[in-house]
Amino acid sequence: MSRLDTFINQWLPIIGKSVVETFQMVGISLFFSVLIGIPLGILIVLTRPGQALANKFLYQTSNLLINILRSIPFIILLFFILPFTKFIVGTTIGVKGVIVPLVIYTAPYIARLMESALLEVENGVIEAYTAMGIKTRSIIWHVLLREARPSIILGLTISTVSLIGATAMAGMVGAGGLGDLAYRFGHLRYEVDVMYATVFILIILVQSIQSIGNRLAAKLKKD
Amino acid sequence: MIVLENISKEFNSKNGKVKAVNNVNIHVKKGEIHGVIGYSGAGKSTLIRCVNLLERPTEGKVYINGVETTFLPLPKLREARNKIGMIFQGFNLLKTATVYDNIAIPLKLLGYNKAEVQNRAEKYLEIVGLTDKHKNYPNQLSGGQKQRVAIARALAQEPEILLSDEATSALDPETTDSILDLLLKINKDLGITILLITHEMNVIQKICDHVYVMENGHVVEQNNAIQLFTKPTHSTTKKFLSTISQRNLSPALISQLHVTGAVTRLTFVGESTGQPLLAEVSQRFNVKPNILTANIIELKNGIVGNIVIHLIGENDQVNAALQFLEESGVGVENLEGQS
Repeated sequence: MSRLDTFINQWLPIIGKSVVETFQMVGISLFFSVLIGIPLGILIVLTRPGQALANKFLYQTSNLLINILRSIPFIILLFFILPFTKFIVGTTIGVKGVIVPLVIYTAPYIARLMESALLEVENGVIEAYTAMGIKTRSIIWHVLLREARPSIILGLTISTVSLIGATAMAGMVGAGGLGDLAYRFGHLRYEVDVMYATVFILIILVQSIQSIGNRLAAKLKKD
Repeated sequence: MIVLENISKEFNSKNGKVKAVNNVNIHVKKGEIHGVIGYSGAGKSTLIRCVNLLERPTEGKVYINGVETTFLPLPKLREARNKIGMIFQGFNLLKTATVYDNIAIPLKLLGYNKAEVQNRAEKYLEIVGLTDKHKNYPNQLSGGQKQRVAIARALAQEPEILLSDEATSALDPETTDSILDLLLKINKDLGITILLITHEMNVIQKICDHVYVMENGHVVEQNNAIQLFTKPTHSTTKKFLSTISQRNLSPALISQLHVTGAVTRLTFVGESTGQPLLAEVSQRFNVKPNILTANIIELKNGIVGNIVIHLIGENDQVNAALQFLEESGVGVENLEGQS
């Protein structure tokens, strides 16, 4: 009993701080990734040959960009774009410094998941709304995005989980977080208890996010 | 109401240019129901999409209500499309919206106010007989009910024209009949002009005033429904007709029967269906008519009867009998056997 007390007294503040850091990193970068990824996903669906705004150049360029960014492992990306990070946020370290690479890592991923979610929407429904004389903008909002909502939610769930994974490497630039804690104390300093506690918290976190995502998607699906 | 003038549509495919629609003319007057029938790949889907310009024809002109719409700029085209409803084989409803919302959302997007949206949604749900289902989602409905929702959605725009793209092709025969009855009702009560495409002859039979038969992008035969059913000329038309009634005896059988007398198809239209002509023939002439096949087809605007008879008797008597039948207003067509 006393051993647990000591453990809690000694580690709770540190673990608590790491949890907050992880939440910060995931929350902020998810926000910006969605802001970039969703429009990018819509763009590559709509500029596809045969679609409403078919544009070969725009489609192929954004497709290529997404593929290039998705080819680079996060750990490499982190260092590869240091100058860019510095240019955008003025620093390359701490939570602030890791947001930029996290967004650049996650946004293309979200764009791809968005693409597959939007392509699931039957073309016939879009055709029906076009035939009624409804504006393309309204069709995107009220047909395409609406019908794709369940798949979009599932896609965002997947990206959030992979984002949590990526934050583990944020320690490299001193951004802290749960992954960093497990690595520094658990691995480098042989504090196995800390490692277990962190992994346990991560499991709970990922489980809850996935369950919430699944439930929300099912609710929107109306099957 | 709808005029398609020399419409052609070309697509670029891997094997070069493909002409899906080739120089087609269609003229649907206000309040009529016209049907285009053809096998899949005949170009009818492309053709019907030219009416509301979901496909821009490569050549030819489209007139709606006397106004040419072929090259209208998008905002004007949207206005024109408001007056043209469309229903589809796959229903094309929003899966994530209730029956009510499926009708209400397009109205909202078209800018109608709340009261008007509710008014129309309720009115047209009642017309298609789905008031009690307004809170259900499409996946909880049968195919026929889904098509009714789609029809209500199309009607809620209060269009002058309804385009039907194989609307009954995914439905069982009984449901097909009920949807066709609904289309007839819409046509009569609301005066909506209908252009439909189908590959089912019974759809044409039940509701069409005028028929176009399409093959390889061409209209190979067109006529009003009664004429088309009584005097088909093109082989494709005859093939379609044989799907709803047995028209063909084998040439071998006909040759065998020819030994004792002529084999003749008699087509009765309208008044002549009521007279006991065959009985009269056997009294007046020295012939014995033997009925081989017989059927009656109820069209929207009349009844067509079809009998294939074997007229047993001497040649001159048979010919006199046939002449008498022809003079009585019956269509007479001699069937040839093996040559």
